[in-house]
Amino acid sequence: MATQTAPTRARPASDPSRSPRRVGFSQRLGKWDVKLSPYLYISPFFIIFAITGLFPLIYTGWVSLHDWDLLGGQGDFVGFENFTQVLGQAYFWKALRNTISIFLWSSVPQVIAAIVIAAMLDANLRAKTFWRMGVLLPYVVAPVAVALVFSKMFADDSGLINTVLENIGLSPVGWHSEAMPAHVAIATMVNFRWTGYNTLIFLAAMQAIPRDLYEAAVIDGASRWRQFISITIPMLRPTIIFVVLTSTIGGLQIYDEPRMYDQMGQGGNDRQWLTVTLYLYELGWRNTNLGRAAAVAWLLFMIIVVFAVANYLITRRIASDSAPKQRRVAGRNPR
Amino acid sequence: MRTTRKRALALTAGIAGIALVATGCSSGSDDEGGDDAGSGDSDEKITLTISTFNEWGYEPLLEQYMDENPSITIEHNKFGTSNEARDQFNTSLAAGSGLADVVGIEIDWMTEVMQYSDQFTDLASDSVEGRWQDWKVGQATTPDGKLVGYGTDIGPEGIAYRSDLFAAAGLPTDRAEVAELFGGEDATWDDFFAVGEQFAAASEVPFYDSGAAVYQGMVNQLEAAYETPGTDEVIATENADVKDIYDTIMAHTELSAGLQQWGEDWNNSFQTDGFAVMLAPSWMLGVIEGQAEGVEGWDIADVFPGGGGNWGGSFLTVPAQSKYPEEAKALADWLTAPEQQLVAFQTSGNFPSQVEAQESEEIKAITNEFFNDAPIGEIFATRAAAVTVAPYKGANYFPINDAMAQAINRVEVDGTDDATSSWDKWVAEVEAIG
Amino acid sequence: MSTTPSIPVIAQTAGRGAARSAARRRHQASGAGSDRKPGRLTYVLMSVVLLASAYPLYFALQLASSTSADIAQNPIPPLLPGSHLFENIGRVLAADIDLWQAMFNSLLVSGATALSVVMFATLAGYSFAKLRFRGRGPLLVFVIGTMAVPTQLGVVPLFIVMRELNLVGSLWAVILPGMVTAFGVFWMTQYLEGALPYELIEAARVDGASMIRTFWHVALPAARPAAAMLGLFTFIASWTNFFWPSIVLGTTNPTLPVALQLLQAGFFKDMALIMAGVIVSVIPLIALFAVAGRHLVAGIMQGAVKG
Repeated sequence: MATQTAPTRARPASDPSRSPRRVGFSQRLGKWDVKLSPYLYISPFFIIFAITGLFPLIYTGWVSLHDWDLLGGQGDFVGFENFTQVLGQAYFWKALRNTISIFLWSSVPQVIAAIVIAAMLDANLRAKTFWRMGVLLPYVVAPVAVALVFSKMFADDSGLINTVLENIGLSPVGWHSEAMPAHVAIATMVNFRWTGYNTLIFLAAMQAIPRDLYEAAVIDGASRWRQFISITIPMLRPTIIFVVLTSTIGGLQIYDEPRMYDQMGQGGNDRQWLTVTLYLYELGWRNTNLGRAAAVAWLLFMIIVVFAVANYLITRRIASDSAPKQRRVAGRNPR
Repeated sequence: MRTTRKRALALTAGIAGIALVATGCSSGSDDEGGDDAGSGDSDEKITLTISTFNEWGYEPLLEQYMDENPSITIEHNKFGTSNEARDQFNTSLAAGSGLADVVGIEIDWMTEVMQYSDQFTDLASDSVEGRWQDWKVGQATTPDGKLVGYGTDIGPEGIAYRSDLFAAAGLPTDRAEVAELFGGEDATWDDFFAVGEQFAAASEVPFYDSGAAVYQGMVNQLEAAYETPGTDEVIATENADVKDIYDTIMAHTELSAGLQQWGEDWNNSFQTDGFAVMLAPSWMLGVIEGQAEGVEGWDIADVFPGGGGNWGGSFLTVPAQSKYPEEAKALADWLTAPEQQLVAFQTSGNFPSQVEAQESEEIKAITNEFFNDAPIGEIFATRAAAVTVAPYKGANYFPINDAMAQAINRVEVDGTDDATSSWDKWVAEVEAIG
Repeated sequence: MSTTPSIPVIAQTAGRGAARSAARRRHQASGAGSDRKPGRLTYVLMSVVLLASAYPLYFALQLASSTSADIAQNPIPPLLPGSHLFENIGRVLAADIDLWQAMFNSLLVSGATALSVVMFATLAGYSFAKLRFRGRGPLLVFVIGTMAVPTQLGVVPLFIVMRELNLVGSLWAVILPGMVTAFGVFWMTQYLEGALPYELIEAARVDGASMIRTFWHVALPAARPAAAMLGLFTFIASWTNFFWPSIVLGTTNPTLPVALQLLQAGFFKDMALIMAGVIVSVIPLIALFAVAGRHLVAGIMQGAVKG
């Protein structure tokens, strides 16, 4: 994407770093101004990011190798003991399972729904802006507020959803008592907030697909569905990869929704919806063991990297498998 | 020269915007910290903060204190639950700042706090000599005699019940008769569960709200449930008494409504006839009254199985972080004086821990309209006198006990486990803690 | 630490990238927009989608305008809101958890964060897009690379650092880590590359303007549309952020999401009150959405290229 604007760049002729010299602006000060300013301008970002972003991330590794109490502070160097301890806890593995499950329940249906809704929006609807704003509405609601509303709706005995289920003759679901339904409920909150957002991303990508491709397909006698599968989806490939990647990074760190799913914030009596970040919090700030919390943070970091790479590979595979037209399309598409 | 100055100017202008906003926030947080002035001449206006949790009935008292001490403004920071207050306490203690000048601490995590007694002001003073029973003072005193906290309330337990549901099941409804039904002065847990069976046979409504809550009542009668006094060695998983109580609860799950205390469904059940009986420490009355607003039929019986029982009770402490330790101590002293705790009792049902208050004539006259005009002062005074055991709660009491509540809920509420597997999980958890 | 924005913020790029191509390709395409006429079914389905995205908020309103006893007795709330809304809002504003203070804090934090992100991102973006300096390429790659780094995982040391700085409990602890985002820098770089012609910069320089003056008078005005968009998204991300504020702020000085969590954590749970709190917390952003919603849509879709 960074290269897309290259054509407009015409740098050689008008490089500002040279222009001053050309017009004879050659005092020392001016030179230093030209030389140092670029660094000066980017320095706030790098300095603040180094202090508040990069350093903590790396220092997490250091903390994870020590006994480190929230109240007592740094203790002895213990090597990888925190890691082995954490890996030996059933709760860690449960948290990992839950996190992945919630992630799957939120990302897969969300991407599918977003693409479908985007396809509907891509049709020539009247009052475009209205519909687009409508789907984006949930985005401005804080996850904490979303979670408060949904955890009431999903209450086991007294919730809206179970009552409706019972009224139409189905049996109520243990939204809080059973792990899988709890994951679905939490994923629903995530989907509620993000589907519209991703819809608009897909919509933008769809509108970028040259219409003559569809015209050609119509001439070939392809059905709507066929067009969708053979043209739209393959053309969305980069966007799908992007959305999936970002939702991986965000989704595996999920905290707000499970924390707020009941008032105790511990992930349930049997840790049905304990997530890794929630576990991190519990270790560090409830059990005051920052060393172990740091170990969990590092483990999660590793897991995210693995998932991001795996997702990238898988999504690329899925999105690219199909459509002989794709190559033709790709030929036209500079991307 | 000109260029650099311009640059500096422009940069300053850019940052000024941020700084402007930032000034706003620092003043905002300063207000919270209450340090708008240096430390203390007596005429100087100061702001004291106090943090409590749940419902302590302090609002009218704090108003009164401010009226009587015009130089003092009090900010009251109220946490929803004791758990919440404890989380926050840990964080602030770690941060070395952020604790209120007067901090309310519950007995279940008091021992935990006692480990950091050097972070607190010694509250010993002649004015509080003999204010509480020795066991209450003992819970807040370090081995070398430092008094870390002033006792506020205790939680003597009675049995709250729905007289209308009792009537429907053919049981007596009058509170004296109900007390007798449960066994009167010699009530035992067997009696309690027997009444449950009797009730269950005649009613569709579950007997009590939550097995974990009944467990609380029972475990608070053990001298040392989870840890050896003195050494704090964790004995929870080997303690046969704990296992017995657990098994008893598990044997009676059919009497339980299977609700998780404090949970969403539990809250709702007050409005939907979810259960008939609840073990009620005095401070629970406010909770019941709030949740069951508009529901008629609640009453409270002067009886408790297995001798008296105490659940909860708290202390006021003054952290060393406080900028105004003297003023904070004076406030804590005043709040925990018998007269004030009597007012608190009337406001929220927190039963005073002060000997003088417990024995006073005023307390005997206090009744509660919501509980069918029950003489709650008299009832809880009797209940307090019946408490014979001051359970030892060591540094790990809170997490172990919390894990136990979850263990019971796994079986009763969630059904993810049976009694055996849930116990095993609890054991594993306790081992991870200890 | 950029915390929650990771999704919106990065996902934006996809929208932006796609939109860029859209903008470019619109010329190539035979006709703008789709020729397909949507059937009635599409409208019906879209209405369902809209209902799903609005109902949870309406549900909060239904409960917030009711009483806790009613809520307990009727799991399915009556279709029309009850009459207790203002009473409940009044109660929640007067509650022990000071929502006014929380809202004020949220405004400060989100405002300061947005302002600072925009400021620093524009500076850096201008530098990357239009100035020549050694190491520019690798540094920009580094910036892009860090967009995907889950900095939220640095909470443990970040807390230790804030404690050392004596900032735990202070709003600064939330503002500082949010002051820059890699995404912001990337976004402004991309935008300024296309939107700011070299001729303008050159003209200013020829006139003898210093570097910073050139930035101030030439780059900043040109960056305004993208900067506004960036500010908007940063503001929302900061407003809805919970994890880090809940750890470092504590309860004495909460932002709105932290205050909402406290509201829920009580022993005595008053559902009508909690939902009134939800409504109160949502109103400012809904208002913002009403005013700037179409810009948000455009921001996601077009990446503000056409500002």
